[in-house]
Amino acid sequence: MAKTASYKKKYRFFKPREKKLNRSMAGNTLLFVIMAICGFFMALPLVMIVNNCLKPLDELYQFPPKILVRNPTLENFTDLFTIMNDSWVPFSRYILNTIIITGFGTVGHVILASLAAYPLAKHEFPGKKLLFNMVVLSMMFSWTVTQIPNYMIISWLGINNNYLALILPACSYGMGLYLMKQFMEQLPTSLMESARLDGASEFQIFWKIVMPNVKPAWLTLAIFQFQQMWGNTGSMFLRDEQLKPMQFALQQISAGGTARAGAAAAVTFVIAAVPIIFFLLCQSNVLETMTTSGMKE
Amino acid sequence: MRRKRTKMSLTTRRSINGYLFIMPWLIGFVVFYLRSLIMSVQFSLSNLTVNPGGGYTLEFVGLQNFIYAFRVHGSFKQILTTSVGNMLIDVPLITFFSLFMAILLNKKFPGRTLVRAIFFLPVILNSGAIQDAMDLARAMMSGGISNASAEIAEAASGSGVSIDYYIQMFSVLGLPDVIIEYVSGAVGRISEIINASGVQIVIFIAALQSIPGSMYEVAKIEGATGYETFWKVTFPMVMPHIITNVVYTVVDSFADSEVVELAYDVAFTQNNYGLSSVFSLVSTIVTCLILVLVCRFIQKRTFYYN
Repeated sequence: MAKTASYKKKYRFFKPREKKLNRSMAGNTLLFVIMAICGFFMALPLVMIVNNCLKPLDELYQFPPKILVRNPTLENFTDLFTIMNDSWVPFSRYILNTIIITGFGTVGHVILASLAAYPLAKHEFPGKKLLFNMVVLSMMFSWTVTQIPNYMIISWLGINNNYLALILPACSYGMGLYLMKQFMEQLPTSLMESARLDGASEFQIFWKIVMPNVKPAWLTLAIFQFQQMWGNTGSMFLRDEQLKPMQFALQQISAGGTARAGAAAAVTFVIAAVPIIFFLLCQSNVLETMTTSGMKE
Repeated sequence: MRRKRTKMSLTTRRSINGYLFIMPWLIGFVVFYLRSLIMSVQFSLSNLTVNPGGGYTLEFVGLQNFIYAFRVHGSFKQILTTSVGNMLIDVPLITFFSLFMAILLNKKFPGRTLVRAIFFLPVILNSGAIQDAMDLARAMMSGGISNASAEIAEAASGSGVSIDYYIQMFSVLGLPDVIIEYVSGAVGRISEIINASGVQIVIFIAALQSIPGSMYEVAKIEGATGYETFWKVTFPMVMPHIITNVVYTVVDSFADSEVVELAYDVAFTQNNYGLSSVFSLVSTIVTCLILVLVCRFIQKRTFYYN
């Protein structure tokens, strides 16, 4: 690396117009074909979901099944709205619950995990190694099995039947911390040192220097966490109907069986569409961050 | 990070600062995760009986549950070894497949975000409500209530390729059995591997985007070929995230493995919480050991930017 650094100094004013590296045309085509085949098979479920939600009922039951829709209708969605309006709790309430749980769970986890990851990656203090090993150990433990202790802890805290029962454990899960720490370790320490010399407080360094530089990492973490929280039906801790998230209500609709097949297809579309949109938003925001910009060696 | 040992006050102040940053997360972690881990250890050493009026009583029995799991229980050891074996097949394949895909998806081409979303689809479709709805759709497509058409569909899906023939051919060629088993195991799990690598691809994409563009410029100026650039710039820079992804893959593949299913069954259908805790503890320890070995192995070869 020392060699490249010295070359960098020499050619600092030379900027190539494009970053594309040389690769043969044949290689590119081959890669494109591989990717197209993989992508085609992976996109099939999505194609099926989109087409299913536009199919009228008779086409849904057709055998042998057709993937593409013949006479697209929005009937399924109107069906879904009628069912929603009939529900005992107004549907807007379910949506609000989902927004609260998903929003706070995602934002809270990203912020708390990043805050904790910063000193673990860039500071020295007693107990750091032990703490980090504990985090990794806790991730290995399968949480499906610890449902009983989890339930007892939630009741002991008195947050049973409360949004907090879903939000608080989500905020302090180990995976986010692990991911953020790995990315922060890659940042050049000299960047933080120079900020410290300029009199920035630790929090300012974290917020103004570390976080913008690891933007790809926390946007990625936000994608996972959003997906996790979005899929949460909360059936274990939330007993009151007016606290339950949208997922629960939608699952009830698709559990209605063949009679509600059209509405269920619409439900699938709604549930799948939101995380995909969130993913697209986050990914298109991930721009290449220049870690070394603002550094002179 | 160069600090002088003589100035203790500064060091202490910095470590207090560090703890302050960790504190909000740590409180939650200790309350929710560490506590339930400790409770599980406690359960595994005792006999738990649920009181009819609510609550439970613990009766300390020592290592009796562990002895039962290894000596008496019929399928535990076998299921544990298959789960670990599957994991060992999956982890390297998933890691390399996702690195490969991430590099492809990191190129600039029109519709790149959409293609990335397609590769992330399996993760999104994994949620419970979608699975239910998809099952319903599948049931309808294969003829709704009647079973006959489902049987037709099943018969039609029987593979046209006889795998045994190829296995035999390769063993005649003198390839070691271990390799043949590994490859045939891997080929049989291709769809699972692709489906399980959504998260890893996204992590690798983020890692690739964290590589400063100036490094590629330098490589280009020096006349490096694409191959050289990959091995000298890209690969060392994503190396730390290979560990991240290995850890994630292990966690993910264990979360829905057969051992966990067994432990879940024992806890919630047979109400034997002690034994279930033993199962999950033992599997956790085994995975941790494997992970420590793997991480040691990779870490030695890892290059850190600083």
